[in-house]
Amino acid sequence: MQSLAAWRVAGSVARASDGALVIDGASKDIRIDRAPPRLMFRWMVTIDSRKRGALSLVAVLRQVREALDPRYAAVRVRIAVAPLVPS
Amino acid sequence: MSIEAIPVSVLTGFLGSGKTTMLRHLLRQPEFSRTAVIINEFGEVGLDHELIEASEDSFIELQTGCLCCKIRTDLAQTLGELLQRRDEGRCAPFDRIVIETSGLADPAPILQTLMTDTNIANRLVLGSVVTTVDAVNGAGTLEREGVSQKQVAVADRIVLTKLDLAGPAKPVLLRRLEELNAGAPVLVADHGRIDSPLVFSSSLYDPQTKSTDVNAWLAQETHGHSHTRHDADIKAYAIVRQEPIQAMALTLFLEALAEHCGHDMLRLKGIVNILENPDRPAVIHGVQHVFHAPAWLDRWPSDNRSSRIVFITRRVPQRWVEVLLEAINEEVAEVAADW
Repeated sequence: MQSLAAWRVAGSVARASDGALVIDGASKDIRIDRAPPRLMFRWMVTIDSRKRGALSLVAVLRQVREALDPRYAAVRVRIAVAPLVPS
Repeated sequence: MSIEAIPVSVLTGFLGSGKTTMLRHLLRQPEFSRTAVIINEFGEVGLDHELIEASEDSFIELQTGCLCCKIRTDLAQTLGELLQRRDEGRCAPFDRIVIETSGLADPAPILQTLMTDTNIANRLVLGSVVTTVDAVNGAGTLEREGVSQKQVAVADRIVLTKLDLAGPAKPVLLRRLEELNAGAPVLVADHGRIDSPLVFSSSLYDPQTKSTDVNAWLAQETHGHSHTRHDADIKAYAIVRQEPIQAMALTLFLEALAEHCGHDMLRLKGIVNILENPDRPAVIHGVQHVFHAPAWLDRWPSDNRSSRIVFITRRVPQRWVEVLLEAINEEVAEVAADW
């Protein structure tokens, strides 16, 4: 819910009886489950019946934001070449 | 032979807020005698440089447009040329550079240029950001002009000018400055005159003593809590954590911040207790989506070993930032435990 507020995206978040997170917004049905054991993913994100794995929470957030926010364009970190403090 | 890094400070502030008057005063002080000045004027005929009495050799005027929007490469080139002139003895030796921006400039891209241009990166170090605010018109300007809010928000020091005309600083202006950037001390200039050592003394790194002063840089004493107003777009707040943060969690956290709100993360600076290296705190600094690699201090600057990160953001809720860091840290700990 905090993320939806931060992205200024309308929607609701609820916890299903099996522990999954269910997000309703932008006419999309989104469900976030823990991935089954022995998969390389930690999370499974289902968006309108299409299921994809996610390695981390950061990846989950990216998938959910892409689904909910059509204006979203991820900004990649750029590392400064100048040192913060000279060595 | 090792080459000393030269601090580059940025003097910004809205149109007519007294930047040039203050700079003119500063350059007359003995401690500023070895200062090179770059002035960026917006408009076809620059006037500010006529008002500055600096050594002609160490003074450069950029007149091609507003620094922030179209001539970032010009700035990097100008700095490069200035360094070359110094190396070749073609200008008075200087050990400080001050960039006076145009009154309409967004300072963030200027800081990013200083952080990311490979040609100047190993010779220069980011100094202080000083923002002048006119006590007569400042409150109104801050209300109307988004760029003036950003100029205040990213400052390490704020200098109030024209108090002789305005009388004592109005509470509404001081309140607004605190909302935008509670961490920056507010100084006063009297007709441009100001206690010069204070103005640019808020850099993380002091090239003269070759030391760092994280506490002054973070201005942490005023950042124990957030200073916000519900309708304010730009907000300053600090996150304080007693528990160490894993290095991977910090990396992912900064990546997520950049990814989801890079343009709105106006400035971030902090000292972090890293779990894997608890005796050597990491100092972090970012401007929007551009981050310095962490600087590792040899030791903690005080007994306080908590992580303290100061955020200056536009419409990025503090609670989200806190929850994000917590969740990522927990996940990384969980993954580490599984291994």
